[in-house]
Amino acid sequence: MTAILTVDNVSHRFGSLWAVRDVSFSVERGELLGLIGPNGAGKSTLYNLIAGALIPTKGEIVFDGLKVSHWKSYRIARVGIARTFQIPKPYRQLTVVENVMLTAFQQESSVSRARALAIETLADVGLSDYIDVPVNALTVGLLKRLEVARALAMRPKLVLFDEIMAGLTPTEVSTMTKFVGGLPARGITVIWVEHVLYAIMKTASRIMVLNRGELIANGEPAKVARDPAVVKAYLGEEMNLA
Amino acid sequence: MSTLGQLVLSGIFIGGIYALMSIGLTLIFGVLRIVNFAHGEFLMLGMYGAWAITQLLGLNPYIAAIAIVPAMFLFGAIVHQLIVRPGLDKPHLVVVFATMGLSIFMQNVALMIMTADLWDVPPIFNQSVAIGPFYFKAELLLGFAVTMVCTLLLQWLIRTTYLGKAIRATVQDGEAAMLMGIPVPRIFLITFAGGSALVGLAACIMMPLFSVFPTVGLNFVLIAFVIVVLGGMGSIEGALLGGICIGVVQSLSSYYVAPAYGQMFYFILFLLVMIFRPNGLLGQKGAATIGIND
Amino acid sequence: MSVGVTHQSSGRRALPFFPRRGTPVSVIEILLLVVCVALTVVGLPQSLQDVAVLTFLWAGLALAWNIAGGYAGLISFGHAAFFGVGAYTSTILFVQAGVTPWIGIWCGAVVAGVFGALLALICARLRGPFLILSTLAAAEVVRIGALNWASLTGGPEGLSIPPVAAFTSMVFASKAAYVVMMLLFLLGVYAVTKFLEGSRYGYYLFSVRDDADAASAAGVNPLVVRTVAMALSAGLTGIGGSLFAQYFLYLDPTFVISPELSFQFALLAAVGGLGTAIGPVLGSFLITPMSELLRSYLGSQAAGLHLVIYSALLIVVMLYFPGGIAGALARLASRRDKP
Repeated sequence: MTAILTVDNVSHRFGSLWAVRDVSFSVERGELLGLIGPNGAGKSTLYNLIAGALIPTKGEIVFDGLKVSHWKSYRIARVGIARTFQIPKPYRQLTVVENVMLTAFQQESSVSRARALAIETLADVGLSDYIDVPVNALTVGLLKRLEVARALAMRPKLVLFDEIMAGLTPTEVSTMTKFVGGLPARGITVIWVEHVLYAIMKTASRIMVLNRGELIANGEPAKVARDPAVVKAYLGEEMNLA
Repeated sequence: MSTLGQLVLSGIFIGGIYALMSIGLTLIFGVLRIVNFAHGEFLMLGMYGAWAITQLLGLNPYIAAIAIVPAMFLFGAIVHQLIVRPGLDKPHLVVVFATMGLSIFMQNVALMIMTADLWDVPPIFNQSVAIGPFYFKAELLLGFAVTMVCTLLLQWLIRTTYLGKAIRATVQDGEAAMLMGIPVPRIFLITFAGGSALVGLAACIMMPLFSVFPTVGLNFVLIAFVIVVLGGMGSIEGALLGGICIGVVQSLSSYYVAPAYGQMFYFILFLLVMIFRPNGLLGQKGAATIGIND
Repeated sequence: MSVGVTHQSSGRRALPFFPRRGTPVSVIEILLLVVCVALTVVGLPQSLQDVAVLTFLWAGLALAWNIAGGYAGLISFGHAAFFGVGAYTSTILFVQAGVTPWIGIWCGAVVAGVFGALLALICARLRGPFLILSTLAAAEVVRIGALNWASLTGGPEGLSIPPVAAFTSMVFASKAAYVVMMLLFLLGVYAVTKFLEGSRYGYYLFSVRDDADAASAAGVNPLVVRTVAMALSAGLTGIGGSLFAQYFLYLDPTFVISPELSFQFALLAAVGGLGTAIGPVLGSFLITPMSELLRSYLGSQAAGLHLVIYSALLIVVMLYFPGGIAGALARLASRRDKP
């Protein structure tokens, strides 16, 4: 299996603050990679760098053989990277299905087929009841699921999930965990930033830990959970996470 | 050479006065993150008021300021409560259209009441003051002096008082300011009303230099916008600097270039600033591109 | 603020009463079309023909403005520049080179479209009031240029089209012909708008308007989308300008490229309902006749009274009915449709 994404010594600076510092890792095709870390660790910045919303101050990002470090986000989306936003960014004057149709247009050029694909994707995430509902009537939990639907309607090669579990009930967490866990089998590589550790522990084949912009751990979930550096980063004292 | 000197200096003086007119606009822009498209009409209102007091009471516009400034403060407060505040939590085009509507409303009410005629006040000092080899109208110098005093006073207020700090905090980050316990809605009201009062003051010192007519606001508001973007949203020093630049540009271009094209200069200058330095010479980074109420 | 929202109709209606985005036709649209065609064909009294001409023309122009302002979210107070550019291009071509306006208006549309694309590129990174002010400034630059480039545009004296009626010169003897012409213009722009709103490109427009970052993450290039929208809006506005020139037979930069005119397009679209197809039409149908009639009855007596009335109307509508007339009616209609 060749790496679908390689992040090579990437650093990014805001003013004098290095939000991401010398981060290097690669993601294999079909992997489900968890990305965790305390708040402010640089996870969103890393996502913005990969998805093209930011251009790294230093370093290279290679996706599917293409050097995408300096590409704008729409170009990166078109070659197959989808992402969700931590604070959902729906198109507020459109309906739920129309929101998903936008990304569906990457796959289908006709309005009716895009709508069909959008409806199918909405069914996948359990939003079939809301198809023609104006998006500004949705609660945060539903908006997060909409973010997932929008990302998946693109039939991406790689999807970056950003805390999609926040606001979900325990049953919903369980359903979503199973759902995301099944994505690699559908040919979608996943990087998953999540605070609900249960979900990642259950589904990820590998976990990376970011702290203060640096990658402090990168390995099997069980090992990472016991890594003292990781525990310290989260809790500041020794404790068992697993 | 002395012509150049005369032009530059008078440009600086008139520029200072333009700056006074623009400080209100830049503060409102910086604090409330809206553009008051009726700003020029506030100026017009102040000018008509100054004219009326001068004509009816036999005073002069400078003394009229005692009444005009508080009156404009009150007017600004009313406009804020009735028109601006209801629009603040709606898409920004609501405030844009509402203030545009107010602008047209005021222009046409003025047209109906005062007719399209130009009104002036009789000259107050009938002499020119000499500074070195140059001569300037006393009203111009007095106006500039008022501007400088006012600007210094505002700067002092902004830096030392709680209100000033609250305003600066709101300019930087309205949400954070609110979370810190700053009564942001009240700051909005005070800023809007205060900005209007400043325009009223500017109107009083401009009345001896310009005629008033219903659409006088249009000429000056465009200048004010250019000054505000040049100087940076929310920056008082920026408004002063911008005002002086514009005053000098106007002074030089109306002499050396055909007067018709003179106006075109500010617009081109405005567009150039928008393209290359959208945050102005002294403004906050990202203000123009991150956007307002986006 | 969204109107014309497609909502789940559990009971199948043959035709929605009020226009909805995505559904090609509604009862109201058919009604309005029938009324307009009837008035045009049956013929109006002379005095009302001018009103009809202007009502249809401004409706088409408000629709054109809406493509940029309502659909793309690019609020422009400089569209009169495109109006003027279109008008001057076709008129100069006709008066100085003998090119028939039937071809000239398309040239005007192209030139106006280019100006539109340029404006979009200049204002690419600007948002909110900065964008609005830039469009104002750009239009003023065009106006002052037109005013002073006398050899091309006739300067402050303006340009006239000889009032000799001939089909090839698009000058008509009867006002009724102009009413037809303007109605066709309105229908044309309306058709373009409806087509746009249901098309993939229309969705791109809405996404860029509502959240450009999210749109970009969905593979949409905001700059291209905005530029094309502005160019289209400008081109259509330019056609309106040319048609106006053929009707009025006289062009003068002070009116034709004025901020007042720019504002009028925006006002009609905003009061009628931004971001909908029927909105700008309703806006013009309501305001233009009122304005023209007020102007002719009150005349110079109360110069400015009609503007006092609409600016007050605008303020009230914007603050309490931000969706405009169309928005208010759509809400009423959806309440009716609910069981």
